[in-house]
Amino acid sequence: MTSEFARMLLILIGIAVAFALVLAGLVFAGGGRRSKRYRPGRPFTFTPVWFLSAPEEQSRAGIVRALRAATLGGRPTGPRETGGASDRW
Amino acid sequence: MIAGEVTAAPSSGGALEGSTGAASVPEPTRAHPTYHPEVVDGPLSVRALLRVDEALRLADAATGLTFSVYIGELGEDSRETAQRLHARLADPDVSVLIAVSPNERVLEIVTGSRARKRILDRDAHLAAKSMVAAFAGGDLGGGIVAGIAQLADHAGRGPTDD
Repeated sequence: MTSEFARMLLILIGIAVAFALVLAGLVFAGGGRRSKRYRPGRPFTFTPVWFLSAPEEQSRAGIVRALRAATLGGRPTGPRETGGASDRW
Repeated sequence: MIAGEVTAAPSSGGALEGSTGAASVPEPTRAHPTYHPEVVDGPLSVRALLRVDEALRLADAATGLTFSVYIGELGEDSRETAQRLHARLADPDVSVLIAVSPNERVLEIVTGSRARKRILDRDAHLAAKSMVAAFAGGDLGGGIVAGIAQLADHAGRGPTDD
């Protein structure tokens, strides 16, 4: 076995090992992330979120409402009549 | 950041006044994952976020009401906390809030004074039943999407008061 052949063999083996290490690293990096699935009975540790379809319009509407209230003298609003439902699981 | 845009991060002084034990409340944002990258770290997968975002847009467009979804702590008096959240919306009278507290396993649906004429309380109860069934099975996103669709369906079929 010549030294040239041994060097080529080492290079090829090195490339294969490096490729395997990169793949293993990617797999472990992906698997270490927290599962997003909600599981009943387990603690829910996520930051509260509040979703709207168009929050920018809501924000603008809120500004308009505040300006209108200021124009009308800022009359305090009483408790609003609401409906809906409550349930548990 | 565009004018009037709100962020998904919890506001520093966001605790609701008078609420009992409620956590800090975030500002409303879109469910679309590219709108605010912070929501990607939330409880819903990207696919579920897209479904919720689409459901909210379709429900708003179809009914003229404003639907919103809150996921987080509601405290001991969950109904009162949900009503306070609902009152923070721009036009609460025509707004519908779906508030889910996974830790307390509580669901609250709050309809405004005009919205409740189109979504009767019994309709809200029916939607709540199907939602909690999905939640009990661990399908948070699916339950929310199904609830929005049911509530929008009832609102569309109901009488308008205008």
